[in-house]
Amino acid sequence: MPDDAIVAHGLAKRYGRIDALRDLTLRVARGECLGFLGPNGAGKSTAVKMLVGLVRPTGGGAEVLGKPVGDRATRARIGYLPELFRYPDWLAAREVLAFHARLLRLTEAAPAIDAVLGEVGLRERAGDRVGTYSKGMQQRLGLAVALLGAPEIVFLDEPTSALDPVGRSDVRALIERLRARGTTVFLNSHLLGEVERVCDRVCVVDRGRVVAEGTVDALTGAAHGVRVQLDDGWHAFDCAPADVPDLIARLVREGARIHAVEPNQSTLEDRFLALVNHA
Amino acid sequence: MNVLLFAGLTLRELVRRRLVAAVALLTVAIVGFTAWGLHRLATAVVDGAPIAEPGVRAVAAGIVIMLAFLFSFVIALGAALVAAPAMAESIANGEILAVLARPVRRAEIALGRWAGTVVAIALYVAVAGGLELLVVRAITGYVPPHPLHALAYLAGAGAVVTTAAIALAARLPALAAGIVAALMFGLAWIGGIVESIGLALGNARLADAGTIVALIFPSDALWRGALYALQPAIFTAAAANANASGTAVNPFSVTSPPPPMLLAWACGWIVAVLAAGIAAFRTRDL
Repeated sequence: MPDDAIVAHGLAKRYGRIDALRDLTLRVARGECLGFLGPNGAGKSTAVKMLVGLVRPTGGGAEVLGKPVGDRATRARIGYLPELFRYPDWLAAREVLAFHARLLRLTEAAPAIDAVLGEVGLRERAGDRVGTYSKGMQQRLGLAVALLGAPEIVFLDEPTSALDPVGRSDVRALIERLRARGTTVFLNSHLLGEVERVCDRVCVVDRGRVVAEGTVDALTGAAHGVRVQLDDGWHAFDCAPADVPDLIARLVREGARIHAVEPNQSTLEDRFLALVNHA
Repeated sequence: MNVLLFAGLTLRELVRRRLVAAVALLTVAIVGFTAWGLHRLATAVVDGAPIAEPGVRAVAAGIVIMLAFLFSFVIALGAALVAAPAMAESIANGEILAVLARPVRRAEIALGRWAGTVVAIALYVAVAGGLELLVVRAITGYVPPHPLHALAYLAGAGAVVTTAAIALAARLPALAAGIVAALMFGLAWIGGIVESIGLALGNARLADAGTIVALIFPSDALWRGALYALQPAIFTAAAANANASGTAVNPFSVTSPPPPMLLAWACGWIVAVLAAGIAAFRTRDL
């Protein structure tokens, strides 16, 4: 479909006797933010690398922006932050970006470089060599490289792994801005709270297979009943949402002292742990 | 276009990492040491009289050949140690991932790294070798028969080692690729000696073995070209006489330049090995 940014059908990768990824079938609409989740070794990075053309599939196929994966012209329209981000430590951040701008054949390179440096908060240190950067700053540079050239789709493989809480918050805000601009975001992350906050949909892979896919609400399940905090602690009550006011009124009539009420809904983390069998 | 970009990146890295500065300092030190030694030779007094000019030039010719021999090993090691990391380290440390996600052909990266290293080696040969030859001429008055040919042959040998290192580094770690490329240069030199011995003794099997090694790794053919370009006519005649009588084998003298077919083979070898390296790189999962 023309509105799909990514279409994968039966995508698979086998290294010798090990299946790194089996039968990945998914669609990501343009402008959508997909959270790609899974435990270590689930095949997440392999999937991302196949979608950006770094790893050749051993089965199935995929299209990115309507072209087969690896298409050279299409690569000018995507941005990629690898999990193993590393940039020449003898170059300054601005030089790294200038190099990538030349690879992208950007005609207005200087303003584009300034813009992405500002976007990731690196403008002040842009003239310093990468070798003098902290790991978090290098990750910010990686994000700047991925955003250069206003890509239509951005693959972010663990974009906050080296960042402090402030940096993580910055990246969340950055992803929100990308979504607002209509950029498709493929977010590969371990941080479930992060995914829950910014992603439209989630795909969970485990041992090379997709084990669940859908919106965050669909995965975590609609709220079923409420949890009520009384003097002696939390209590769960099974009732339909429309019956919650009556339930609370009844408890008050019976003399209960109510401190708090919240939907009895599992978190993405609960669901994730159940799916990957590690609960 | 992208090939030039990666070649430029390779050269910039050599400058920024201070390799160029370190090599320049060492070259000046070596040339200075040679100048001191040659000066001592030119002003030496034997039996109460200075050495005659023809004698000084003959000794200088021998020294130039010995220096060229050592220089060829420095070039080979330099080429292997520059080319292999230029290609393999960016793969190993992940630098290449973000680059390859751009509209770039893997062949452009390999060719750019190759071209950058070959240019660096050629510049080093021209500057260091040229400086050495100028110092020899200034102090002893000796000029080899074909100095520019000799430098070109030495740079060619460096290009052969660079090609092997780049092709190997497309699949192997930097250290392994560099060591194997440098070892192949040494083996090719030994192969050349074996061929000389075979020819001198009339042993066809030995000669053939040496020829096969020269075909597998053609750096020794280029070294012999440099040797022929550096040795004065009297050395060539002496080598021809020794070969004819079967009395001696001298690995530092040759009787003829490498045949054009062998030079064509060396060029074809570079193209073929580079193409094989690119093919290996193109099919590598990263």
